[in-house]
Amino acid sequence: MRPQALIAEITHRCPLHCVYCSNPLAMRPRGEEMPAAEWKRIFREAAELGVLHVHLTGGEPVARPDLEQFVRAGRAANLYVNLITSGIGLTEPRLDALIDAGLDHLQLSFQDVEEAPANEFAGVRAHARKLALAEVVRARQIGFTLNAVVHRQNLDRLEDIVGMAERLGVDRLEIANVQYYGWAIENREKLMPTRRQMEACTALVAAHQQRLKGKMRIDFVPPDYYARYPKACMGGWGRSLMVVDPAGWVLPCHAAGVIPGLTFENVQARPLRWIWEESAAFQRFRGEEWMPEPCRSCDRRHEDFGGCRCQAMLLTGNPSATDPVCSLAPGRGLVDAVVERANAGGVDAAGWVYRIDPV
Amino acid sequence: MTPAHVPRLARGCRLREDADQGWVLLIPEGVLRLSGPGPQILRRCDGSRTFGDIVTELTQEFAATDAARVAGETAAFLERLIERRIVVVE
Repeated sequence: MRPQALIAEITHRCPLHCVYCSNPLAMRPRGEEMPAAEWKRIFREAAELGVLHVHLTGGEPVARPDLEQFVRAGRAANLYVNLITSGIGLTEPRLDALIDAGLDHLQLSFQDVEEAPANEFAGVRAHARKLALAEVVRARQIGFTLNAVVHRQNLDRLEDIVGMAERLGVDRLEIANVQYYGWAIENREKLMPTRRQMEACTALVAAHQQRLKGKMRIDFVPPDYYARYPKACMGGWGRSLMVVDPAGWVLPCHAAGVIPGLTFENVQARPLRWIWEESAAFQRFRGEEWMPEPCRSCDRRHEDFGGCRCQAMLLTGNPSATDPVCSLAPGRGLVDAVVERANAGGVDAAGWVYRIDPV
Repeated sequence: MTPAHVPRLARGCRLREDADQGWVLLIPEGVLRLSGPGPQILRRCDGSRTFGDIVTELTQEFAATDAARVAGETAAFLERLIERRIVVVE
C-alpha cells in the first residue's frame, strides 16, 4: 500500500471565514505550527514512501512567510507541488518567487461569480482581489485550476461560474459541491441544494465538459446526499492519501479528528513510514475487516470502500456504519430527512456560522 | 494532427521517473503510468519539435519499418491526452 499524495496543512490561519470550510472546528494555533525545516524532512520521508504529489494547503498557506521554502523542499524531494490558495496575500513578486522555487500548479478558490454573495460566503471582501490575481497567474507557466465551491445559494449561477473560468483562461475548473464536514455541517440547512438544482447542475456540467474538451478540463464533485452510492472517500481509508496538520499530527482524512477512540501519531515523534504502515489510526478502517453489512458482502466494496467514515460518524454516531448516503445503508433515512427538508421550501433564515481563525 | 503541428505538455503537467513505476506523468490531480513508447513520445513534446519531427525520430529509435503506422499510433496517443488537456498543440 503506497500513498500517492500528501496533503500538507501548513497553517490553520486564514484571512477568509468561509461558511463551508473543511478545516476541523478545533484548529491548531500559530504557536503549534511546525517550522519549514521539519516539513522538509516530512516531504523527504513522504517521497521515500512513494508519494508523488504534495498539496500545500491550510488554512491559507500564503499566511506562512516562509512558504517559498515549502515549495523548494517539495521539489527537492522530487514531488509535484500544488498550492491550494484563496489568493489573499499572494502578491505578484511572491507568486514569482514561488514559481522560481519550482511551483507546478496553483489552485485558486472562488466563492461565487458575483461579488456580493462571494464576499458574503467568504466573510471578507476577497472576490475582486481573486479576479486580479487570476489575471496574473494566467500569464505564468504553471498549471492553473479554478476551484468553485457550489451549494444552494450559488448553484443557480453555475453557468456564469463556468463563463468566469473561461474568461480567466484557466486550464482546469473544479466544481465542487459542498461536503458536509467541518464548518459546512454547521450551515447545512442553508447550503443543501434542492433536487432541481442538483439535476440542473449535473446536466450543465456534462454539457460544458463536452463543449470545452481540449480547452478547459472540468472536474465535478457531486452533492453526495443525493447520490445512490457513497463516494470512495480519500480513495479509501489509508490507501492513497494522508493529511499532516500544522502541528505534525498525521490523519487519514482532514475530518478524522471527529472519530472518537482513534489515536493519532505525530510525525515529530515517529517516522512517517511507521505511521502510514503500522499506526492504529491508519489500520482502523483499512481493508474490509471492519465493514458491517451491507458493505461486507457488497460488490461495490472495492470501489467505494464503504464510503466515508467521518460522514458515518457525524450522521449516525457510529464511525463503522455504512456511509448513510448509500441507498443500501440502514442509516439512509437520516440523509433522506435532510434532503426532504431542503426540498420542502423554507430555508432557515438564520445567519451563517462563520469559520473563526485559530489564535 | 498534421506534421506541422507542435504538441507540447500542457503547463502543470510533468514527466518524471519513479523507482517503482517507471516513467509517470504528473498532472494536477493525479498520475498517469506510462507504458510502451509513451515516455519516448512525451519526452519529445517539448514545444520545439513538430509532430513530423517526432514521428521521424520515433521511427528511427524503434527501427520501425512502417512510418505511417508510427504516425497513426502516436497521433491517437496524443489526441487522447489533448482531450484531457494534458497535451496542447500549437
